[in-house]
Amino acid sequence: MPKLNLDRRSLLKAGAASLFMSGLPVSGFTQGKPPGSINVIILEGGMDGLAAVPPIGDPDLMSIRRVLTPDSYQPLNDFFGLHPSLKFFAQLMARGHASAVHATSFPYTKRSHFEGQNLIQGGGLSPFSETSGWLGRALELAGVSGRSLSLDMPLILRGHKDNDNFYPASIRGSKQPAADLVQLIAMGHASDNAQVINQVAKKSEANIKVPRDPASLAKYAGKAIAQADGPVASVILVNSFDTHASQVDDGDADSGRLATQLAVVDDVISGYRQGLGDAWDDAIILTLTEFGRTVAANGTTGTDHGYGSVGLLAGGSLPASRVVADWPGLGKRDQFEKRDLMATIDYRSVCAACVERTLGLDHDLIASQIFHQADLPRVYDAIFA
Amino acid sequence: MHESFRIAQKTGLMFRYDQAMPEDMQGWVVQQLQAESPAIGIANIYSTAEEWPAELQPNLAKRSAMWRQFRQLKKQQREGKNGQDNEAAVQANRKANLLRDTDELKFVHRNVYGADQVKLRLAAFWANHFTIGNTFDTSNMIGHAIDEGIIAKLNGSFADMLYGITTHPGMLTYLDNVWSAGERSEKAKDCNRRIDCHAGLNDNLGRELLELHSVSPAAGYNEDDIHSAAKVLAGWGIDFGEDVARMRKLTGGNNHWDAYKKRWQEPGSKTVMGKRIYAGKKGLRQLTDFLAMHEHTIDYIATKLCRHFISNQPSSEEVKAVKQVWRDTNGDLLAIHTKVLDLAIASPDVKFLWPMTWLFQVVRLSGATFFQGWEQRHDYSNDLMRTQKVFKELGQSFWSERQPNGYSDDPAEWMSAEMFERRLRFAHAIYENGRVRRSTSKIMDRIGASSATRQLVASVGMSPRDQFIALMCSPELMGLENA
Repeated sequence: MPKLNLDRRSLLKAGAASLFMSGLPVSGFTQGKPPGSINVIILEGGMDGLAAVPPIGDPDLMSIRRVLTPDSYQPLNDFFGLHPSLKFFAQLMARGHASAVHATSFPYTKRSHFEGQNLIQGGGLSPFSETSGWLGRALELAGVSGRSLSLDMPLILRGHKDNDNFYPASIRGSKQPAADLVQLIAMGHASDNAQVINQVAKKSEANIKVPRDPASLAKYAGKAIAQADGPVASVILVNSFDTHASQVDDGDADSGRLATQLAVVDDVISGYRQGLGDAWDDAIILTLTEFGRTVAANGTTGTDHGYGSVGLLAGGSLPASRVVADWPGLGKRDQFEKRDLMATIDYRSVCAACVERTLGLDHDLIASQIFHQADLPRVYDAIFA
Repeated sequence: MHESFRIAQKTGLMFRYDQAMPEDMQGWVVQQLQAESPAIGIANIYSTAEEWPAELQPNLAKRSAMWRQFRQLKKQQREGKNGQDNEAAVQANRKANLLRDTDELKFVHRNVYGADQVKLRLAAFWANHFTIGNTFDTSNMIGHAIDEGIIAKLNGSFADMLYGITTHPGMLTYLDNVWSAGERSEKAKDCNRRIDCHAGLNDNLGRELLELHSVSPAAGYNEDDIHSAAKVLAGWGIDFGEDVARMRKLTGGNNHWDAYKKRWQEPGSKTVMGKRIYAGKKGLRQLTDFLAMHEHTIDYIATKLCRHFISNQPSSEEVKAVKQVWRDTNGDLLAIHTKVLDLAIASPDVKFLWPMTWLFQVVRLSGATFFQGWEQRHDYSNDLMRTQKVFKELGQSFWSERQPNGYSDDPAEWMSAEMFERRLRFAHAIYENGRVRRSTSKIMDRIGASSATRQLVASVGMSPRDQFIALMCSPELMGLENA
């Protein structure tokens, strides 16, 4: 774990003009609905941040990873570019509605997917130390519930009894179970399971049909959040970022497995934008991945597990588009353990800032109660001020 | 629940609606481990159970040929050649050459109609431990790995199973090893002279071999150990679509389950977790043998077995007993399984059932015909869902694109409103479309349902369908409560 040195943090403004969209004050949340919504896109497998937001101004980039760097990147400023798959995200950047935080990670350096995924969702001090998730605990503290758009209940949302997951069923020969039947069956179960089962009864009221692709789910989530009594958090999982092989197609770094998955992320963000409507103004969407990937390509036009990556942020709650980074450099000596991008910003701080902005919780409370680390640096101003 | 059904629920898939009950349950469980495991199924929904036809169970060479043919036709389709660029041809190609639907249906049939229920539960455990996700290029291999890599090796040593699965083309493809070349291999040296050629190490399988398949991170290995394991693995496996002549040239043989490309191997000996591994093909067996009896492997997998079969929270004595058998028998799976099952029977604890296991048990107890026959595997039916879709909706499929850590045994991972809703809906669908052969009250009498369960069923009213749903989603039938 490298020492964090946020004093050296340099804020690199995006090339395009930035607009201040949200006028809502972030006063301490007292009662009623929190000031905004928080929407997490989990990028499962470990996303290559150096390909998603290539540091084109870094003198070492092309000598080390020419084969992996997209040719038609969109320049964000003198130093950073954006992968061509992130088309909608690029438009948001231009309008001041999106930012990136680079060379960042949860403080986890052992490169196991399953430990890393557990840590970024649990938000504890070590993998498997938490039975609830950081977002679930945040919602509990804010006194509100969240909803996950997946078939199982992801760890990140656990911790609040009313948290809910949703994934439209399509089972031939079955209908939405009748609410009274569900309630009767729930009565036959032990109390904590009965509570879970009773949520099915609540859902039975509405016959919801949405397509199953991630973008449509995001749109659905956005619409739900936009409602007056809707949830204030959502989680969408996008898989297959574990690009050990064929991360890019032979001879075309604009396409390949990573390009395909980044396009899905772009669609999800676009789906959120459509669904949220006016609620966009107070929303934040943030990506979360267990680690970045090796700086150099491996032997199979892919990358192996690494450390620092990039976080993508979108939403009207951002006052301006920025690339926030304390750039560590890509030279061999700058790399973490001579192979990975070093992380210089603790991504937990970014999550904390998003919680502070959207759920109206105090940073010190977030640091100590949610992430169990009282001295977690506050990066709120770098992103939201 | 009667003792016989409690044991069958915990260690097997429940006795089919018309199956005679064994008298000595403990003896039955042990005999089950020696049961023959032919793939039993139905040709169509009106026929009786019989063995799957041999022509639908191709060997690896045939599977590889089918995959090769699939890719060839797909290429013609892309190039608009040979009349392949239309939907009918695309579908015909999939049906003729991809085995996913066939293999998945066969796996389901085994579980619904098989007389080897305890072995099948163990097979599911190990197939999950050695997860091979469906990354499409593994379409034709997952079923083979389960049949030949797991079921056929259930009574051998763990070392044999570990080596067998590690070298199975399905695993070598899923975790990218078929493309991995030693950094100092002849292949890499040749390649480095050319601009358009990349060759080098890919550590995906090496990492998961240590983390998921054997010692687990508790062993405290480091990045160098992972790198060395990847070097030992370099050269293993070959593109499943490679033509026979080229395969012979690269590997010196035509067996996909023993394919080692000498020119891709990393020269020299390697050290993994302090163990010196010799250069060459034999190095891998040396490595997997070392890992198979490593104290951390024994601890990690014994605990996992106990959690899967004995209790959601097995006691340290139970885990200790299984570990001792592992050490005493040099990792003999028959002895290890026997111990685990003995402890499962002795323990009064309930075991939460995976959605998949629960579904098979519901179908077996009720005598439903919920899945198509093999003749119908490509047909559309108004009533019967495609197998693939069933498991997608259930949220658990060995043929899904999933992560190599497999499905969790933690009930918290499965008890959510949405997952529970799926069970309600499947119970509903099985009742509506599955031609259920036994009434709810008959099933309750047969298994000796608890009074709590009977009360629950009575509480939902007179609708036979609602009663069926209530029974199958009761705590007792889901493995949530003792009764």
